[in-house]
Amino acid sequence: MDVKRNLVTGSIAAVAIAAFGVTTVAGQRPAAPPAGIAKPWVMPRTGDGKPDLQGIWTNATLTPLERPQGQPNLVLTDAQAAAMENATAERRERLSQASDPNRPAPPQGGDGSTGAAGNVGGYNNFWLDPGERVAVIDGQKRSSLIIDPPDGRIPPITAEARARNQERMKARAGTGQYDHPEYRPLAERCLLSFGPTTPLVPNYFYNNNLQIVQTPDHVMILMEMVHDARIVRIGGKHVPPHIRPWMGDSIGHWEGDTLVVETTHFPLQQPFRGAAENLKVTERFRRVDANTINYRFTVEDPTTFAKPFTGEIPFNATNELIYEYACHEGNYALANVLSGARNEEKRKGTQK
Amino acid sequence: MIERRVLRDITVGLATAAIVAAAFLAAPPATSQAARPARTPDGKPNLNGIWQALNTANYDLRSHGAKAALAFRPGPVVPVPAAAVIAFGAVGAVPGGVGVVEGDDIPYLPEAAAKQKKNQEGWLDSDPEIKCYLPGVPRANYLPFPFQILQSEKAIFFSYEYAGAVRNIFLKDPGPAPVDSWMGQSVGKWEGDTLVVTVTGLNDQTWFDRAGNHHSDQLKVTERYTPQGPDHLWYEATIEDAKTFSRPWKIRMPLYRHINPDARLNQFKCVEFVEELMYGKFRKTPVQ
Amino acid sequence: MNVRTTIGIVVLGAGLVLAGRSVMAHHAFGAEFDPNAPIRLQGKVVRIEWVNPHTWIHVETVKDGKPEVWMVEGGTPNTLLRRGITKDTVAVGTELIIDGYQTKDHSLKRANGRDVTFLDGRKLFMGSSGTGAPKDGRDPTEVPRKPPGQ
Repeated sequence: MDVKRNLVTGSIAAVAIAAFGVTTVAGQRPAAPPAGIAKPWVMPRTGDGKPDLQGIWTNATLTPLERPQGQPNLVLTDAQAAAMENATAERRERLSQASDPNRPAPPQGGDGSTGAAGNVGGYNNFWLDPGERVAVIDGQKRSSLIIDPPDGRIPPITAEARARNQERMKARAGTGQYDHPEYRPLAERCLLSFGPTTPLVPNYFYNNNLQIVQTPDHVMILMEMVHDARIVRIGGKHVPPHIRPWMGDSIGHWEGDTLVVETTHFPLQQPFRGAAENLKVTERFRRVDANTINYRFTVEDPTTFAKPFTGEIPFNATNELIYEYACHEGNYALANVLSGARNEEKRKGTQK
Repeated sequence: MIERRVLRDITVGLATAAIVAAAFLAAPPATSQAARPARTPDGKPNLNGIWQALNTANYDLRSHGAKAALAFRPGPVVPVPAAAVIAFGAVGAVPGGVGVVEGDDIPYLPEAAAKQKKNQEGWLDSDPEIKCYLPGVPRANYLPFPFQILQSEKAIFFSYEYAGAVRNIFLKDPGPAPVDSWMGQSVGKWEGDTLVVTVTGLNDQTWFDRAGNHHSDQLKVTERYTPQGPDHLWYEATIEDAKTFSRPWKIRMPLYRHINPDARLNQFKCVEFVEELMYGKFRKTPVQ
Repeated sequence: MNVRTTIGIVVLGAGLVLAGRSVMAHHAFGAEFDPNAPIRLQGKVVRIEWVNPHTWIHVETVKDGKPEVWMVEGGTPNTLLRRGITKDTVAVGTELIIDGYQTKDHSLKRANGRDVTFLDGRKLFMGSSGTGAPKDGRDPTEVPRKPPGQ
C-alpha cells in the first residue's frame, strides 16, 4: 500500500535526519524530499532548543516483553503481524456478541478460566484495552520488546540471586499468601501499578498511557496508573544511598537529541524480577516523528542478571485523555481478599 | 552643627556596622535556581519550582486558638484528648492560626453547618486525610507538604509530595468531566500575569481541613496564582457550592518557594503507612 | 451457546507473554471470589461507583420477596471514559442480568461481574472503539478520535 510504504520511508528519513544530532534552536535543515513524499518532518523543539517530548502517549502493544517460544526472529513478517492483530480484533468482536439472557449461574466449582480470570471468569472483555497493534520500531514489526540478548529473553539470573530468592522463600515458609496485607502484590495494595513502572513497559491490560511535561531542568513522566509521576532532574545528582523512593530516583541529561535517564535507588519492596537493591535502569527517549517516541531501556543488576538486557518500545501519540486513577481510595478489593481469607478459614475450620 | 570628630566617629561606626551586618547577611549559596528566569520563553510568568504554604489552614481555615488535640472526650474539668491520640502529648496539639478565609466566616447553609460540627467531633473516624486519601482542591495546596509546579509552553502540571497527588492543568477545556474525581478537573488560562484555574468534577469525599469543613459534589473552585517576586505566589481560591453554602466565599494566602539549591520533592506515599490502620483487623493474627 | 467472556487475554495465537510480574499478581479474581459460590442476579441499578481499581455496580434484586442489594465488580472506568461513557450513561433503574461468583467473604453480598448484560443479553458496554480503527495513532491517514466532550 503506497501510503504505508511512504510512511515507512518517511520514518526512516526522519530517523536519519535525527541521527545527525542537529541541535540548533532554529531546527534541522532537511534534505530535499524525494518525489512523492510529503514535506519531511522537523523535530519540534522547546524554547530552550531541546526536542519536544511533551504530550500524551500510549505504550500499549501486542508485542510481548520476551520473545515467545518458537519465534526466533526479532522482526515479524507482515503476515505474522497481521495474524496477531486480526486475532485480537476477532476476539474482541466475538466477546462483544450478546449473551444468552437465559443463561444460568456459572458452574459450581469454577468455570475453568485460567490466568488472571482465576477460575471465576474475571469480568467482561469490554473493560480491557490491551493494545491492538504490534510494536513497530524503525519500520520493523517486532516479535518482542527485548532486542538484546538477541534471543529476546531476559537473561538467566545469577546464582547469588537464586540464593537470595531461596532465602526469601524460606523466610515465608509456613505462611499463607493472604495472611497480611504486606504479603499481597503491590498493585493489589494500590502502591504501584502492575507493570514495573521503571522501565515504562506496558501492562497488557489497560490504561497504558503516559503524559510527558518538559521544562529546562525537569522532565515529568506521569503513568496513568497509579497516578505515579516520575520527576527526572535534568543534570541532577542522585539522592543519598539510604533514600529509596518507590519507582527509584531518576536523573537525566541530553545526548544530542536523545533524553537519557538513569534510575537507581529502588526500594527493596519493588523488585523487578528479583532485582532491587542494585538495579539500574537506563532509558533513552528519542522522538522520531510527529506521532512516535522510540523508547529504549536497559536493565542491569550484576547481582541478579547474568548480563544486562535492552528493549525498545514505541510510544504512540494519542488524542485521548488520561483520567484519574485514584486506586487506594476505591480499593474494596484488598479488603475483600483479606476478609475473604479469614471468612473462608472460619468456614473450613482452618483458622489457627 | 555637628563637630567633625563626632561626624567621623559616626561614619566609622556606621561603616563598621555595615561590615558586621554584611558578614551575617552573607549571600546565599550559589544555586542553579539563581539563574531562574522570571518568564518562560512564551512570556508567561515562570511558576516552575517547589512551593509550600506556611500557615495552619490545614488545621482550620478559620482563625483559631491553640487546642490540646484534634479529638477530645469529656474530662472532669475540661475536655481532654481522646484515648486514641493522648500518647502524642504536645506533638498532637493544634497550633493557633490567623485564618485564611476572607471575612473569617464560612457561610454554611444550616444543615451543612451542623454537618461540619459533627465532622469535627468525629474527626478520628471521618477525616479523609487520616486514611491518606487524595486531598482534593484547594486542600492539596496548603497541606504541610511541598508541591512542584512544572510549567512549559505547552503544559502546566502540579505534582504534590503528599500521597503523590497530581493535577494536570488543561490549557484547552476538554468539556465536562465524565465522572467525578478526588482531584477534580482543572482548566487553566492566563489573565495577564495571573494563572486562573477552574476546578470542577470534584467528588464530595474530601474535606477542606482537619476541622471538618466540607462540601458537596457541586463544588467549583476558582483559583488565582499571581507571582509576587521570584519566590512568592499570591494564591486565592473562590469556593462555590450552592448545596452547602449560601454564597461563594474565598480563601487567600502566600505560597513560598523552596530556594535551597538541593530542593526537591521527597516522596510521601502514605498508602503503605495506613495499612495497619485500615486492614490490621483482617490479619491472620492481629498485631498485639 | 458458549458464553466464555473471560479475560484470559494472555493466551493469544502468538503466545503473548506478560511483562514483569505474573498476571496473578494483579488481578486477584481467584483471591477475591469463590468458585464454589456461583450466582445469577437480575435486578435494577441503584448506584454505580465509577472508581479505580474497580468499578462497582450496585444492583437491587429481589430474594424471597425482599429487596437485596448486591455489589458487582467491574474493571477500571478509565477505559470506558475514553470511549465516551460518562456517569450518566447507565441510568439508575436500568435492569441487568449478572452472572458471576460471590466473594470468598460470604458475609458480603458482592460478586465479580463475570458477564454483565441487559435483559436481552447485550453486553452492558461494547468492547470496540466502534470505528474498528486502531488506537495507537501511528497511521497518519487514520482520523484521530476526538476526546469526549469535543
